[in-house]
Formats: sequence, structure tokens, C-alpha cells
Amino acid sequence: MTIQWWQILLLTGLAFWAIIDQLTVAVLNNPLAIGMISGIIMGDITTGLAVGATLQLMVLGVSTYGGASMPDFMTGAIVGTVYAVISGKGVQFAIGLAVPVGLLMVQLDVLARFANTIFQHRIDTFIKENKPNAAARNALWGTFTWGFSRALPVFILLVVGNDVVKAILRVIPAWLTDGLKVSGHILPIVGIAILLRYLPTKRFISYLAIGFIAAAYLKMPMLGVALLGAALAYIHYTREVEKLEMKQTNTEKQNEDEEYTNDEGEYEN
Amino acid sequence: MKTSSNKLTKRDLFRANWRWLWASQLSWNYEKMMAPGYFYSVLPFLKRWYKDDELVEMMQMQSQFFNVNAFDGNFIIGMDLAIEEKQGSKAKDTIAGLKTGLMGPLAGVGDTIFGAIIPTICGSIGAYMGLRGNPFGAFLWIIVNLIILFTRFSFLNLGYSQGAKLIDSASGKLNAITDSAILLGVTVVGALVPTVVNVKVPFVYRAGKVTLKMQSILNQIMPSLVPVLLVALVYWLLGKKHVTSTKMIWFVLILGIVLSYFHILSA
Repeated sequence: MTIQWWQILLLTGLAFWAIIDQLTVAVLNNPLAIGMISGIIMGDITTGLAVGATLQLMVLGVSTYGGASMPDFMTGAIVGTVYAVISGKGVQFAIGLAVPVGLLMVQLDVLARFANTIFQHRIDTFIKENKPNAAARNALWGTFTWGFSRALPVFILLVVGNDVVKAILRVIPAWLTDGLKVSGHILPIVGIAILLRYLPTKRFISYLAIGFIAAAYLKMPMLGVALLGAALAYIHYTREVEKLEMKQTNTEKQNEDEEYTNDEGEYEN
Repeated sequence: MKTSSNKLTKRDLFRANWRWLWASQLSWNYEKMMAPGYFYSVLPFLKRWYKDDELVEMMQMQSQFFNVNAFDGNFIIGMDLAIEEKQGSKAKDTIAGLKTGLMGPLAGVGDTIFGAIIPTICGSIGAYMGLRGNPFGAFLWIIVNLIILFTRFSFLNLGYSQGAKLIDSASGKLNAITDSAILLGVTVVGALVPTVVNVKVPFVYRAGKVTLKMQSILNQIMPSLVPVLLVALVYWLLGKKHVTSTKMIWFVLILGIVLSYFHILSA
């Protein structure tokens, strides 16, 4: 099938909103939701969900920290869903095309953050000149650098989309489409591995094993594992709080006995 | 100088919250990161409290480098407003110190809970269902996000009303909450590997009447052995120098094509 102009407009708008959403209200701030909405716009919600879900697993729980640019698979989910629907070649194939788009977004993300330094400089100047309202406006203009950094490439990729996908399908050999399918299936391990690096996994390694055993051997569905995890987390929490209270009563006793003063209110992190 | 008529109302706090919600990251930049967002959030109060040179001085202080988690960073704004309301520009250095001192710890807690753990749990459930064509998980996540959106607004008020008191008393409990959340996240991740990474080893060994399917042998050793080994490999590689997540994505993309070409793995 081919894509209609109104679909291109809606999806471009979605690309613009997705990044602004992530930076502000954080309601549709994930590839899964964006994939689902792209699927609704393209009239194939199942494909949109599958593309979004696979890309979601690649960026699992890894958002942008302290300004590091991550692959933007929300944008990838839009392009991937469209390519999956118009090519009819299946989800995994489309993911093979969507991943490079998400990776390209890293460069454009850097560009947007860099362009925003212009607004920073204007803010600094306006403050010096005591023009608070002008400075305030510049604190919002980043909307356009961020939004267009996603909307423009999506617009271009969708306008040329039909031809590009057809051209790719003509030249791409079978071993490569098969290979892309396998890649689509194993790409989620990157997200999982990054997450395990980010979390203090070694300290909680036995819980990793419990989750694995529940799913792999006992065939427990994901929601069940989450509930199991919640129960274990609650046990952990109550024990920690008990420990804390014991410590507190101990120090209180010490206070009475030796007039010990505790001036260390530092954070541990 | 401050008079009692300057006391902030609930509406004022909501206003600061609202401005922070929209502006905190919009003009994020490499130079001062979230400084424009912080400046924008407190500006109406600066304009109310200060004039002329004093205003310029305070605006300059409030537009210095700032970076925190957007979800819980408004706690600092709450404390800031509570102090400035009482002490005015005399508190300039206190506020500057408070901002730099608190942004690290709050970013740590916020990034872990809102940036890693909640997306891990909701993303795992949602992706698991989504791969099976079920949109329920995606909707569930949107509902969770809406709840978080409302919760975020209370952090600023908390900072305003309890500020310093809370930081002394709750840090231990906060650690316990963060730890428990991580525990839950790790459990869910453990279940992810066998459920979402679906690849088979298609190799079949034939000798006379005997056929040995490689995959069933592997299954007897451990279910999902191949996905586990692949995760271990990528985990190990990520610990190397100069290995970035982007490089790893390319690596796995190509690895999949190569392994499929030699019929070691199939979808």
C-alpha cells in the first residue's frame, strides 16, 4: 500500500510532539506508545505495537541522563511502522530499517542541544540588560529546535518513503532480509545489557535469577513476574526500614548516654 | 524588604510547578543545561520580590548551570522559594549553594526511579504484550505516566513546606525505596531475557536414522541458553573502553545478519 498525505502530516506532527512530550509532560514518552499511535494512523495497530515493542526493548529504561544523547527510537518507531505497513515484509524487516533512523537521531539530538546554546546566550544578554520577559521567551524557543530535529527527518523519510522502500526491496537479497529478521529478534538484548550495566545488578543478582527462573522454567507471564517482584520488593523495604529504626533508637540511646551529636546529614547515593 | 503580604499562595506554587513542567528542558543546552528552565520557573517571583540591580543580580544567580532530573527537581524550587520568601536577596549565596548541593542527589534518585525503574517495569510488561498484539500494556503505561504527572506536582510543595526537615529525616527511607524499586526492576529484567528474545539454532545433525536437533539439546541444558549467552556477551563488551551503546546496536545488528547467513541462528 502507499501512504496518504494526511498520514504523512499526522505522523510528522507525532514526531514533533513525541520529543516535546518526553521533555515536558512525559505521557507518550516511549517507543511503544508512539509505535501504537503510528499503527493507528496507518490503520494497522498490531504492526505498530510490534515495531514499538521491539524498539522499546532496545532502549529499556535507559533515558537520557545528564545530557547524553541516546538513540531516539520514538522517531524510529514512526518510520519503522510506516515501512512495515507499506512494504508488507513483516515487522523484523522494518526494524532493520528503523534502527539506523533511531541512530541517526543521535546526531540530530546533539545538533538540537547545541543550537539551544544560542538561546542560552540570548538569555544571559537579556538578563544583563534587565529585560526579564525577553529572557523568558528564549527559555521556551528550544521547542522548535527540538521539535524540528525530529519532525523534518520523519517528513522527508515519509515523503520519499514509498519509492525508497520499493527500491530497497528490489535490490535486497533474501539472505539479508532473513538476517535482518534475526537481528530484529536479538536486538532487545542490547537494551537489556545496557540496563544491567546501569543498575547495581551485582548486588541484586539473585533477583535476576528469580525473574529468569519464573519466566524460563515456570513459564510465568510478565505481569506475574512483576507482581512477584513487587512482593519481594516490599519484603526488602520493610526489612530496611526496620533496620533503620533500630539504628535510630540506638543512636538516640547513645545521645542520652554520651550526649553524642550527629552532624552528618549527608546523602548516600 | 519582605512583608507578610509577599507570602506565596497555593496558586503561586502551582504556577512555579506549571512553568517547570513545560520549560525545564525545552532550552536544554550544552553550556548551562537546565538553567533556562530553572530561571523561567522562578522568574515571576523574582520580578515580584526584587527591582533594578537587585533583580539583575538575582536573575543572574538563578540562570547559572543547573542539571537535575525533571521529575523531582522541582523539590529544589520549592525549598528555594521558601527561603527567598523569608530572606530575600540576602539568601543569594545560600540558594546558589542549595541548588548545586541538591541537584546531584535528586538527579540520582529521580533518574533511577523515573528514568530507569518505571520504564523498565512498564516497558517490559508493555513490550511483552505488544509483541503479542495486545495494546493493554501500552495503555497501562500511559495511565502510569498520568499518575506520575500528578505526583510530580507535589514535590515542589513538599520542598516548600518541609524542605530542610525532610532532607535530614527521610534520606534513609528514600534509599530503602530506591533499593526496593531497583530490586523489582532487576526481577522483571530477569524474566525479559527468555520471553522477548526469540531465536532458534536451526542446526540438525543427521547420521543414518539418528537425527539430533541442536535446539532441543540446548533446551535440555537450559531454556533460552542462546539469549542468555548473547546478553552476557554484550554486557561484557559494554564494560570495555570505547564501547558505546550505539556501537553495540550496530554490532548486534550485523551479528544477527552474519549468524543468520551461516545458519547458526534463525528467527
